[in-house]
Amino acid sequence: MVKKLLFACMAAVLVFTAACSKSNNGENNASTTASSTPAESESATASEKPLDKVTFSYFLGVANAPDVNTNETTIGKALEDQTGVNFKVEHLVGDLKAKVGTMIASNDYPDVINPDAGIDQLVDAGAFIDLTALIEKNPNIKRVYGPFLNQMKAADGKIYYLPISAQVGDFVPDPEINQGAFWIQRRVLKEAGYPKIKTLDEYTKLIEDFVAKHKDEDLTGLITLTHDWRFFSTSNVPMHLDGYPNDGNVEVDMTTFEAKTYYTTDSTKRWLQKLNDLNAKGIFDKASFVDNYDQYLAKLSSKKVVGFFDYGWQSANARNLLVDAARQDPMQDDFVYFPMPLTWDGGKDQLLDPPGFVKNRGIGISVSAKDPERIMAYWDNLMKEENQIFKSWGIKGETYEVDDKGRFYRTAEQIKKIDEPFNLSFGFRYFNWDWPQYGANSTLLDGNAFAPGFQPEVFQTRLTDADKTILEKYGVKTYAELFAAPDDRAWYPAWGIPKAQGSAEQIWETTKDEVTKKYYPKLVLAKPADFDKVWDEYLTAFGKLDTAGYEKWYTEQIKAAIEAAK
Amino acid sequence: MANIATGTALKKLTRRNASIGDRIFDTLNITFLCLLMIVTLYPFLNTLALSLNRAMDSIRGGIYIWPRDFSIENYKFVFNQSTIFHATLISVLRLVIGSITTVFCSAMVAYTISRQDFVLRKFITIAFVLTAYVNPGLIPNYLNIRDLGLIDSFWVYIWPGLIGVFNLILIRSFIDGLPESILESGRIDGAGEFRTFFNIVLPLCLPVLATVALFTAVYQWNSWLDVFLYNSSNINLSTLQYELQKILQNSSAASSAASAFSNPDAAANAVTPLAVRSTMTIVASVPMIVMYPFLQKYFVKGMTVGGVKG
Amino acid sequence: MGSNIKSATSSIASDLKPTGLKLFFKKLVQQRILVLMSVPFLIWLFLFKYLPLWGWTTAFQKYRPAKSFSEQEWVGWDQFKFLFHDERFLRVLRNTLAQSGINLALGFITAIILALLLNELRGMIFKRVVQTVTYMPHFLSWVVAAGIIQATLAPDGIINLLMIKLGMIEKGQEILFLGIPKDFWTILGLGTVWKDLGWNTIVYLAAMATIDPAQYEAAEMDGAGRFRRMWNVTLPGIKSVIVVLLILNIGNLMESGFEAQYLLKNGMNIDYSENIDIFVLTYGINQSNFSLAVAAGMFKSLVSIVLLFMANSIAKRAGESRLF
Repeated sequence: MVKKLLFACMAAVLVFTAACSKSNNGENNASTTASSTPAESESATASEKPLDKVTFSYFLGVANAPDVNTNETTIGKALEDQTGVNFKVEHLVGDLKAKVGTMIASNDYPDVINPDAGIDQLVDAGAFIDLTALIEKNPNIKRVYGPFLNQMKAADGKIYYLPISAQVGDFVPDPEINQGAFWIQRRVLKEAGYPKIKTLDEYTKLIEDFVAKHKDEDLTGLITLTHDWRFFSTSNVPMHLDGYPNDGNVEVDMTTFEAKTYYTTDSTKRWLQKLNDLNAKGIFDKASFVDNYDQYLAKLSSKKVVGFFDYGWQSANARNLLVDAARQDPMQDDFVYFPMPLTWDGGKDQLLDPPGFVKNRGIGISVSAKDPERIMAYWDNLMKEENQIFKSWGIKGETYEVDDKGRFYRTAEQIKKIDEPFNLSFGFRYFNWDWPQYGANSTLLDGNAFAPGFQPEVFQTRLTDADKTILEKYGVKTYAELFAAPDDRAWYPAWGIPKAQGSAEQIWETTKDEVTKKYYPKLVLAKPADFDKVWDEYLTAFGKLDTAGYEKWYTEQIKAAIEAAK
Repeated sequence: MANIATGTALKKLTRRNASIGDRIFDTLNITFLCLLMIVTLYPFLNTLALSLNRAMDSIRGGIYIWPRDFSIENYKFVFNQSTIFHATLISVLRLVIGSITTVFCSAMVAYTISRQDFVLRKFITIAFVLTAYVNPGLIPNYLNIRDLGLIDSFWVYIWPGLIGVFNLILIRSFIDGLPESILESGRIDGAGEFRTFFNIVLPLCLPVLATVALFTAVYQWNSWLDVFLYNSSNINLSTLQYELQKILQNSSAASSAASAFSNPDAAANAVTPLAVRSTMTIVASVPMIVMYPFLQKYFVKGMTVGGVKG
Repeated sequence: MGSNIKSATSSIASDLKPTGLKLFFKKLVQQRILVLMSVPFLIWLFLFKYLPLWGWTTAFQKYRPAKSFSEQEWVGWDQFKFLFHDERFLRVLRNTLAQSGINLALGFITAIILALLLNELRGMIFKRVVQTVTYMPHFLSWVVAAGIIQATLAPDGIINLLMIKLGMIEKGQEILFLGIPKDFWTILGLGTVWKDLGWNTIVYLAAMATIDPAQYEAAEMDGAGRFRRMWNVTLPGIKSVIVVLLILNIGNLMESGFEAQYLLKNGMNIDYSENIDIFVLTYGINQSNFSLAVAAGMFKSLVSIVLLFMANSIAKRAGESRLF
C-alpha cells in the first residue's frame, strides 16, 4: 500500500517536472507551437529539478522506418527535453512470429513492445504488465482512452496494452478515398456525360459500352487483385455491395446485431457470376488470378484498365502515378481513376470506415521494463493536445501556418519541404503511428483536423483544375462526399476483435482463405453453363467448415463490444 | 576395350572424323552455351535496369534490359543509410573468418574419416551425416545458442556453421579419390598424420577446398537470419544483408508515406520495394560475382596432381 | 553394450588375447593423432546439433514458449494426428516428393551436362565467362526470380508472344501457365534449374580438375573421340562425387524448398504447389503452433534418414562409393 502511494506520488512528480522542464527549455520547439495550454502555465511555477536521462528499448513489430533513437529526431528531442526519456526503437526485420517466439522463450523483453499481429501471443505469455492503475494516474491517457477502457480489457479484466489510437472529438472523414471503392477512368464518365452510377450493373454496363466503343485500343474492362493475402480485395466485394463496411468476414445486422458470413450467400454468387459473365465477354482480365501485386500495379498504371475494385491504400501507388502525370499534362486527366460507391440495389453504401477502435493491435509495457511509471508518464505527456499537434502538424511557421480564423494549413513551400528525408529527421515518420495517439479522424479542441491530410484546407490545395471540374459535376467538394456517411458501429472493425492463437476461429479463417482462393478462379473462369455446377462443388467444400460456430462466436463478441461501449 | 582388336584402320578413321566432328561439336557447344548465357544474364540485366530506373516509373512495368527513366535515387536511398558501411565490414569479417575456419576444420575431419583404418570412422561419419536431416526447431535452437553464451556476439556467425555435412562429405570423397600411392609415400617417409594432412592432402585438394571456400563465403555473405535471431539489437554486429533487408522493408512504408504527405516531388522520387529490392540485389551480389573468377583458377584441369611433388 | 562389458571383463580375466574392446582402445591409442583431429569436433557437434534436440519433445506438447518444461501441457500424438488427419496431407506429401524429385533429377543431370560441356571448351577466357554468367542467377533472391518467372509466363509475357508469333495459339487465347495446376511442377523444376545451374556445376568442375591429364592423353592415343573420352575418362573421374552427392540429396527429398513455391503458388495451382513446409507455415507457425512445426520436422527427419540409409545400401550393393 505504502509502495503504491509512493509510486503515485512519484508519478505525479514526474509528470509535473516533465512539464516544467519543457517550459524551462527556451529554444524548445514544442513550446513554441502551443504556449497557452493550462498544463503549461501550471507547471511554470513548479520547482526545476532536471530529470535523469533514461533510454528505454522499444521493439516495433512493423518495419516501417530505419531503427532510431527517438532523441535523434526533432520531435523526439523535444519530448526528451520534456521528460528526460529517450527510446531506442528496433524495428522487425524478419518473421514476426519467430521473433516474438524467441523473445517469449527466453523471457527477456524490451521495455516497450508494439508487436503488431504478435500481440495475442505476448498477452498469452504474460509478457505485459497490467496498465489499469497506471492509466488512472495519467490524466491525458485517461482523457483519450477513458471512453474505451471497457473495450480494452482482456478476458481477465486487466488492460495489457494501449490500442494505437482512439477517436477524440468530432469525426473528420478522409477527403480522399483510402478505403474501398469501385474505380473507373474519368474519360468513361466524361464520354457518358457524368452519369450518376449507383449499382454494379450500371457500372459494368458503362465499362462494357466503353470497351465496345474503343475496340482498337486493346482495353481491359475490369481486373481484380488476388495476390496472396491481398485476396480480400476480390472476396470482400459482396459485403460492400450488400451495403456493409469492411468488417472482415462478417456482415453485422444493424437491428439484431447478428454476425453473418457472406461467402456462400446470393451476394457472393451474384458477384462471381458477374465476373464469370464479364470473363466470357472478354471484358474481365483472367490473368487477375495469377498476377502478383507488381503486375497488378503495372496494369493499373498502364492506362488500359477501365475499372477495378480496390481499397484506396492498396492501389495508391499506381493511381498516384496517373495523378502525377495529369498534374504535368492536363490531357492525361482522362486516365485518372474516379471512385464510386456501389451497391446491388443502389441503396445506401457503407464503404467509408466508421470511427473504429482497433483492439487487436497496441503498445504495452513488458514485465522486463525498468521503470513503467516513467514510460507511462512519457506517453501521458505525448497525449497532451499540444504535443499531439506538434507530432502531427509540426512547428508553426515551419511546417504549418494558422490563418486568421485559427485554421491550420500548409503553404506550398512547406508541402515541398516535407519530403522523405525531412519526415525522418523531423520524426513525423517515427511518431506517425506507433505510439498512443489520437485516432486519424480526430478533431482538435480548436476544431482543426488532427491529421493534416484530413484538413479540408490542405486537401483543397492539392486539387487540380480537372479534379475540381469532376467533383463539381457530381456536386461535391471532396471525394468522401460521394459516399454515404458511415453509421455508428460500436464494434467496428469486427476484424479487429482479438482471436486466440490457434483457436477455432483462426483455423476457420485460414481454411476459408484456402477454399475461396481455390474456387473463386474456377467459378469465374468456368464456362457460363458450368457455373452452377462449380458453385455446388464450392458449397460442398465450404460446407466442411464450422461456419455456424464462427458466426456464433462473432455475434457474442459483437454484443459484448456493444455492451462495453455503453 | 573391345575396339583394340579392330586395329589401326579404325583408329585412323575415328581420328579423321574426329577433327570434323570436333569442329561441329565445338560449334554446337559454343552456340548452346551462348544461348544459355543469354537466358542466365537476362535476369541480372533486368534487375540492374530496374535499379537504375526511377522507382515510381518502374511501377508501370515494361522495363527489360535498359532503364527507361534513368535515376540513381535508389542507390542514394540505399547508401544513405550510414549503417551499411560498418555492416559491410562485419560481413567481410565473417566471410573471411568463416571461410578459413570452415575450410580448415572440415578438411581436418574429412581427412580422419577418409582413413579406412580409423576406428571411429563410421561413428563420426554417421554422427555428422545425421545432423543434416534433423532440425530441433527454431526455439530450442535459439535457447541452445543463448545457453552457449553466443547471443550478442560475433562468434554466433562462426560457431554454429563451422562444419557443414555437405562440405565434409565433399572433401572426404576428394581425398578418397587421391591416388593411394601418394599418401602411402608420405607415410613411408615417416611423416606424421599432421604432416601428411598439411603437406600432402591440403595441397592436393585445392580444387575442392576452393569450392568449399566459395560455398562458405557465399553462405556467410548472404545469411541474415542469424543476425535477426541473435544480434538484432546490436547495430555493431549487423551485417550488410541484414541492413539491406531493413532498407527493403522500410521502402514500402517510405513510398506510402510519400503519397500520404501529398508532396508531388517527394512522391515522384519515392522508392518502392521493387526498386529497392533490385538495387540491393545488385549491391549484395556484385562482390560475390567478382570473387568467382579469382577462385576459378583452382579448377583448372589437371594442375593439381602434376603440381605436387610426391 | 552388455556384450561389450562382458567381453571387457572377460578380457581382463584372460588378459592374453586382445578382444573387441581392448583392441578398440589399443587402436585408439595408436591413432591418437586422428582422435585429436576429430574428437573436438564431435564435442562441437554434440553441443550445437544434438543438444537442442530436446526440442523434439515439444512435438508431444501444446507448447507455449512462456512456460517452463515442467509446466507444458502434454498432448501425446495430437499434433501428429492433426498433421496426418485428412487426405490433404497425402497431397502435400505427394507434392513435396514430386517437386524435390523433379528438382533433383533435373538439377543433377543438367549440372553434369553443363560441367562436361564446359570441360570440353578450349578457350579459357570463354570458359570463365560462361561459368561466371551461368552462376549469376544464383544470387537473385527467389522474390526477384519469381517475379521474372511470373512476368515471362504472363499472358502478355514473352512465351505467349512467341507462341502467337509462331502460330501455336491465336491472339486472345493466351495461356495462363501458372493457372494450370499440372504444369506447376515443371515450371518449378525449370525455374530452379535456371537459377542454380551454374552454381550446381561448380562441384563437378572441381572434381574434373583432379582428373590426371595423362588419362586423357592415353584415351586420345587409343583413338577415343570426344564423347568416348567424356564417357570413359571424365565421367568415371567424377563418379564417386556424383554418387555421394546423390545419396546425400536423396536423403533430402523431404526438403523441396519453400520460397519458390510460396511465391509462385496461387489459388489455381494450389493442389500442386502446396508442400509440407507451406502447410506447416499455414497451420503451424502462423497460428503460433510451434509444436506442429516440430512434429512435421520430426516426420521429415524420420523419412529422410530412412531414405538416406536405403540409398546408401543400394550404392553399397552396386559396388559404388558410399557415404558410410
